Amino acid sequence: MNDDIHRHLDGEIPADALSEEGRREAGDWDRMLASFHREGPTGAAPAWLEDKVMAQIDALPERGPLGRFVDWMVNPAPVRVSPLAAGLVAAGVALLIALPARSPAPEGPGPTAEPEPVEVVYVQFLLEAPMATSVAVAGDFNGWEPSFVLADPDGDGIWSGRVPVSPGVHAYMFVVDETEWRTDPNAAGYQDDGFGNRNAVLAVGTSG
Amino acid sequence: MAPVERSDAQVVRDVLSGDRDAYRLLVRRYGEVLHGHALRMTNSPDEAADLVQRALVKGYRKLSTCREPERVGAWLFRILANLCKDHVRSPRRADVSMTRLAGALRSGSDPEADAEGAEIRTKVWGALDALTPEQREAFVLKHVEGRTYEEIAAVMDLSVAALKMRVHRAREALRGLLEEYA
Repeated sequence: MNDDIHRHLDGEIPADALSEEGRREAGDWDRMLASFHREGPTGAAPAWLEDKVMAQIDALPERGPLGRFVDWMVNPAPVRVSPLAAGLVAAGVALLIALPARSPAPEGPGPTAEPEPVEVVYVQFLLEAPMATSVAVAGDFNGWEPSFVLADPDGDGIWSGRVPVSPGVHAYMFVVDETEWRTDPNAAGYQDDGFGNRNAVLAVGTSG
Repeated sequence: MAPVERSDAQVVRDVLSGDRDAYRLLVRRYGEVLHGHALRMTNSPDEAADLVQRALVKGYRKLSTCREPERVGAWLFRILANLCKDHVRSPRRADVSMTRLAGALRSGSDPEADAEGAEIRTKVWGALDALTPEQREAFVLKHVEGRTYEEIAAVMDLSVAALKMRVHRAREALRGLLEEYA
């Protein structure tokens, strides 16, 4: 099919700009497309729709505080961090890394220090991917392995899951159907990955 | 003074605060648009009503995940569109769609014209079953519902370029029908 016909049907060029053969084909298309309008199914939504929907909603259990907490656990709002907060967290992380370097190393064998517990913050990841059969998260916080698998229990195409991430600024991607690396369209920020793609960037603050 | 109509964002906030009856406003605002799309995707009033009902109930249950409450109508549309595509894709539905087609479409009062019209309708709308659900959706939104690419892209969360490609492929697939109109 001629590209000009597509462009004409897309409203980009008038029929006058087409060749004679093109104008003939465009006329055929106009008649066929008109028949979709003319012969298409019509009808208003049934009058019972509103009441039936509301009856089903009324039959759902009331969501108390516990229910809302469960809602949040299952479908929590995505974590969003402002660029300012991201900058502060990044500066904080840089400071934490720099500080131990100035501390004198202990001399001789001493009592074995208890390892500092590693703090993690559970971050909610969410991706709308209705056609996907699996979605995972891979980032610098898990060695870029798609090991954190998201779930879509009710099959509405919204995949979500909570992933433990240490405080700091992290790059990540979604891995759809185990093969397709996809950038989070709702990320707080982005950075080039050096291979022509963009990683999503997430800033995680401490929970304390 | 006329009462101020609550915005979509306010309705969403009210529902999430526990006023579940406020959701009725969203059903009224978007029920017809959703039903029209479902009807054009399924060619069946019964199936369309069932899909819209499921989409609206699902929308209520998932309302806390709606990231842009001021665009809750587009969000509900996406839920419905996904249900429609899954429905069109289901093998059981494909078996019965053609036999149900003529009866589901509008009919006239002249039996002869009605028979001829039914034949055209079956050809035209039956041809859509040859498309993938994604192509069918894009074609219906563009050429039947008459939306612009920009509108569709905003609602479906796709790029204009990706949408154009789907519509172009749908046209290529439907090109055989052109002989009927030449």
